[in-house]
Amino acid sequence: MKIAESFRISWRSITGHKLRSTLTTLGIILGIGAVIVFMVLGGGFEKDIIGEFEGEESTSIQVITTTESNFGQGTAQNKIYTEHDMEAIGEIDGVDWVAPDGSLQVVQLSHQGKTVTGGGAGSTFSVTATNPDRFRADLFEMTAGEPFEKGAMDQAVVNENFVKLYDGDVSVGDEVELDFRNKPSQTVTVTGIVNDDTGNGIPPRVHVDLQHYETTVQTPRGAEERAFSYLLVNAESLDQVDQVKKDIQGYFDGDSDARALKGDEQTIEAQTTEDAIEQFQQIVDQIAILLGGIAGISLIVGSIGIANIMIVSVTERTREIGIMKAVGARKRDIIQLFLVESIILGAVGAALGVITGLGIGYIGISVAGWPMAYPTTWILIAVAVGIFVGVLSGSYPAYRAARVDPIEALRRE
Amino acid sequence: MSQAEPTHRKNKVGDTDATVRFSGVQRTYYLGEPVHALDEVSLSLPEGSFTAVMGPSGSGKSTLMNMVGCLDTPDDGTVTVNGQDVGALSDGKRARLRGSELGFIFQQFNLLPRLTAAENVTLPMVFQNVVGESRRDRAKTLLARVGLGDRLDHTPPELSGGQRQRVAIARALVNEPSVILADEPTGNLDTETGSEIMELFAELHDDGSTILMVTHERHIAEHADRIIHLVDGQIEEIEHVTENPPVQGSETA
Repeated sequence: MKIAESFRISWRSITGHKLRSTLTTLGIILGIGAVIVFMVLGGGFEKDIIGEFEGEESTSIQVITTTESNFGQGTAQNKIYTEHDMEAIGEIDGVDWVAPDGSLQVVQLSHQGKTVTGGGAGSTFSVTATNPDRFRADLFEMTAGEPFEKGAMDQAVVNENFVKLYDGDVSVGDEVELDFRNKPSQTVTVTGIVNDDTGNGIPPRVHVDLQHYETTVQTPRGAEERAFSYLLVNAESLDQVDQVKKDIQGYFDGDSDARALKGDEQTIEAQTTEDAIEQFQQIVDQIAILLGGIAGISLIVGSIGIANIMIVSVTERTREIGIMKAVGARKRDIIQLFLVESIILGAVGAALGVITGLGIGYIGISVAGWPMAYPTTWILIAVAVGIFVGVLSGSYPAYRAARVDPIEALRRE
Repeated sequence: MSQAEPTHRKNKVGDTDATVRFSGVQRTYYLGEPVHALDEVSLSLPEGSFTAVMGPSGSGKSTLMNMVGCLDTPDDGTVTVNGQDVGALSDGKRARLRGSELGFIFQQFNLLPRLTAAENVTLPMVFQNVVGESRRDRAKTLLARVGLGDRLDHTPPELSGGQRQRVAIARALVNEPSVILADEPTGNLDTETGSEIMELFAELHDDGSTILMVTHERHIAEHADRIIHLVDGQIEEIEHVTENPPVQGSETA
């Protein structure tokens, strides 16, 4: 029997039971649809963030502390990078500058009489103390004004989200009063506005000079020094990035304060922007695969649905099978007919699932404001899975159909 | 004239122009105790012959029919259809033989309800891998021959009982079979429709088709050349019909 013929006949019996066929494929549609939705959302999120860096090679290297736990990798905020470490890194060949991020606790801030109370961790605002070099980083873009002067306690750079907080009513030269939690409040003049939006939800932020930062730790050498949880290092040129990264890593693996201060389960990592993107991609991929895997369970349910319906269908069509055998159908013809039918159900379900998934994913992405991503690989996998599910769930029913005894089948009333 | 003697049947086996030959066919079912559905049956269906099989229920009529139809195989003895030993064939080859050499006509019509009349007629061609427009033409010719030239695209539920049986007859003819097997072809039809169908059988017979028909109605059986009477799996009598009833006339049920 020609394949095209079995498609024609199987299609006829599928459309002959429209409601049943629809309900049968619904399981596959939902399963594959859900997988595709997660892949579209994950892809869009990833693109949104990575899009910021794309095409731009960066000379930045960040030094972070990661923690291995049962729940995967996390970033620790321990203040282990001392001023001594900073100086040592500054002397490494090829390093242009080193800038720390020291977080300050500001409970309230006022600008032109409008006071805003912080709502972040510990009900504080995100104010970071750093040095003006920080604004030379590739990821930072001064959109107005210029960095504050080194050592100037009464100057600050605010980010664009801060400007948004005041409905755009902030410009260079304005004064902002910072109400620190544990020291007298300070009025600073805005010298510049920076775009530091890397996509992943940067809060309104004020950058001030490192002089404001007073948190100190006891170093292993017995000194009392200021320490930070994060360092940003810039190499002099792109060619030097990899070497500088290796040297920084080498320094921290050697005799550094940070190595002595870090916890046992913590790791100090020097990351280039590329490393960071890669790591981020891995995390998003893992989440997407996890969610996709959960969605995949409904695929299994869907395939059981197809198998179930096909078995019922074989019983119901026993007489038809008998007729076909009487007019010359061989076992393989019958197997072919039933397999083609379940493959059609699986493949059509997969195709509709992909369309549904892309549609819902597109809506989700539009709401989130991310770019659309077409998970081509997953679409191909979905279609393959649909056909596979069809074969798998149709095999046993088809085998049963082929074994129908035409004499018995035709005797049935 | 009765020819029930085994010696005579043995002679028949030697006929060279016989389309179907049974020689010493034995078929036993074990339903608690052995039931001899066919017991040492030998017979032959010469080409162009019209044979009716009569007998009480359980006499082996259906088994005989299934044997000729390659749906069943003998426990002992041989059945040959068009020279091929049915029992020696593989399952797939038997199916092929069924599709090419045999045409079935059932009491229940047994059409596929979702296919049109034309598609039902050409279904056996599908399994013989005949493709293309020739199929549609073939269906058209055959349906016209059974008087349904204007019902090509009707599905069985849209047709009357007699019309369905005509579609089934057209289907039985589609691959130009060596033997047409009819199992109570008028059993589900009223007398008038039944006699119309028998008229069609008479035409097929006149055109040279070999027909084997199972029936329990005497007046239906009389359309054949001869009537085989089966009792308890054995041929009790082979009766030669000298005068066929008029096909057009009304028959008392």
